[in-house]
Amino acid sequence: MADTASSTAAPVPSPLVRAAARNWSALFLILLFVAFGFAAPNFLSIQNIQSVVHLQTVPFLLAASETFVIITGGIDLSIGFVMGLCSVSAAEIVQLLAAKGLSGGTAVALASIAVLLLSLLPGLVNGVVITRFKVPPFIATLGMWGMANGLALKLCDGFPVAGLPDFLPRLGNGYLFYALPGNFVSLFDKPAGFPDARIRELWRLIPFSLPFIVAVLGFLAFRLSRTPFGRHTYAIGGSMDAAVRSGIDVDRHLVKVYVLSSFLAGVGGVFNVFQTGIGNYTTFNASYEFFAIAAVVIGGASLSGGKGRIFGSAVGVLVLAFLENGLDISGVQPFYRYIAVGVLLVVAVVIDKLFPDLL
Amino acid sequence: MNDKEKVPRKSTLRGFLGGRWVAIFLVLEIVFFMFKSQGFATVNSAQILLFYGTQVFLLAVAELFVVVTGGIDLSVGYILGFASIISIKIVDALVAAGLSVPASILAGTVATLVIGLVPGLVNGWLVAWLRVPPFIATFSMLGVCHGVSELVINGVYAMGMPQLAADIGNGNLLYKAPHLPFIFFRRPEVERGTPVLALIPNIVVAAAIVILIFAFVLRRTRFGRHLYAIGGSMDAAVRAGIPVRRRILQVYALSSFLASLAGVTYAFMYVSGKADAGASLLLDAIAAVMIGGASMFGGTGTVGRTMIGALVLAVLDLGLRMAGIATFDKYILVGAILVLAVIAARYLPEAQHPVSEDRK
Repeated sequence: MADTASSTAAPVPSPLVRAAARNWSALFLILLFVAFGFAAPNFLSIQNIQSVVHLQTVPFLLAASETFVIITGGIDLSIGFVMGLCSVSAAEIVQLLAAKGLSGGTAVALASIAVLLLSLLPGLVNGVVITRFKVPPFIATLGMWGMANGLALKLCDGFPVAGLPDFLPRLGNGYLFYALPGNFVSLFDKPAGFPDARIRELWRLIPFSLPFIVAVLGFLAFRLSRTPFGRHTYAIGGSMDAAVRSGIDVDRHLVKVYVLSSFLAGVGGVFNVFQTGIGNYTTFNASYEFFAIAAVVIGGASLSGGKGRIFGSAVGVLVLAFLENGLDISGVQPFYRYIAVGVLLVVAVVIDKLFPDLL
Repeated sequence: MNDKEKVPRKSTLRGFLGGRWVAIFLVLEIVFFMFKSQGFATVNSAQILLFYGTQVFLLAVAELFVVVTGGIDLSVGYILGFASIISIKIVDALVAAGLSVPASILAGTVATLVIGLVPGLVNGWLVAWLRVPPFIATFSMLGVCHGVSELVINGVYAMGMPQLAADIGNGNLLYKAPHLPFIFFRRPEVERGTPVLALIPNIVVAAAIVILIFAFVLRRTRFGRHLYAIGGSMDAAVRAGIPVRRRILQVYALSSFLASLAGVTYAFMYVSGKADAGASLLLDAIAAVMIGGASMFGGTGTVGRTMIGALVLAVLDLGLRMAGIATFDKYILVGAILVLAVIAARYLPEAQHPVSEDRK
């Protein structure tokens, strides 16, 4: 495609260079591992890597929602606060149901379903405002940013919602296998009677969140790369006009994408309750949506649409996470992270410009 | 322009509301809070509103210039924080070096404003020469400013601004005590408990002068017209011989300059500097510009309307506070007003733009 146009331009880069450019973030991630592996001995321990990945479950979900939206050429600034709103409302509903005399398990299950359904609403509003009233996505979702934030704070009165069943964090932070080297292995929970004080001696392997997030991301990657839904998403981002002319119901598809985006934020909100055991509103400084966008761009997507992969975004999340973690445990000021994110974003865009035909 | 005049007015009401509805909304809002909130309709609360709104007003003008060219500047909030910190650090260092206090304050302010150009120049260079999308370029700068600010202050507030700066920052232009003539700048020395009328905060005067200058720049100078042209159509601007790259560089530098100025006013008002001083003001600044009727795609927007947009937000904030309604409602209302304003701008278009061009 580019060959015809670029006969006078620079020579076409070799496949190896193109592959490196396409996956530069993965290469950078490997570089991070090597560098921090030397700088901080604990960095490469299984426990550290597992816990970093585990703590990135919500950012993975948010980056996935942002991937779909950015591929269509839009942006969703509301996901961070929608996540907080869902976390708070899930916790509130659990409390409400528990007060009605339901058992903890039933209350949590019902509340999760209710919140996942509710989480479709912000996306529906975003999608309708964007497609029907032609409000730019930046503005529409910035409006939802404010509304979701205000609603969450109103619901919880500015305090995290506590007093939930205490099996929640055990489930959310549990591991598939527990082993004491050379001694015993137990599934799903630490062996009965094992003293909490010695918990660090236990080998905890594969957090529950890992198969969960791998399944979700795998499913979304499949949807994006192998189904009409994904092809339409790319088509809209590539050229809105062409998508309309080829018979895609663009408005409808865009609404679906924004609904998917806020649904994934809702999943993140519910997971957040499981992970922390309380309902958290999103603070201003959290900047979830910005880090999600950064991850997606570092992962190779372009804000002008038509480009991006779930795998790339997931790598982007890991780059940001391990960068923070590595700086942290090698004793560097954590503030360098913000600067590093800025530099990485610019690198991502420059690579995007140098290799415009990479998909 | 001629084409537009040929189009018949659809209805006089829509024609009347077009472009004026934000101002009408502002009036309705003020009337509402006059009844809803005790003591809202006083000179004092008007002054409070302007005083605490200073930073948002300045950031909104900064944002407007960038939005007119079709860009966006996400870094203004953290540039504000950065400037608030370095102004204090520089003034503190100069005083410690033995310079007189007024000279230190003056030199510190000037130095901060000069350093404050740097983030904008980098933004402009990234956008105009490396063709990085404004969203990414300025978001990167947000991160860099945040990181550098935190490194400078090392996790605590920047302190050490001399008392004189606080007196200027929290002082007023005019004071009137009973039986005494108006006094400029200095609070008259009267017995404790005597009511002294303080009029027009210094900071507001300074901000108003700067904003008026920039309103003039945008409306009346060739530089301003170039910005509208660039936002209207980049291609046309290039073909018309406008130095587009240089203008974009200048506009981001200008935005960063105004954000730094807002940071200096913050340091004068609160006598402290922190990295996230302006973090939550970004929403207000962008919302003010959009409520003021500017388009995200560039080519439209005026300083006057942006100020009306900023006032809509400031009145809402103060009114809700004085009515004792939780500030959480403010976020919901700002979000809703932002979206509704953009929808309204679509259905109630302005009859004529001061400088406008058909967009693609």
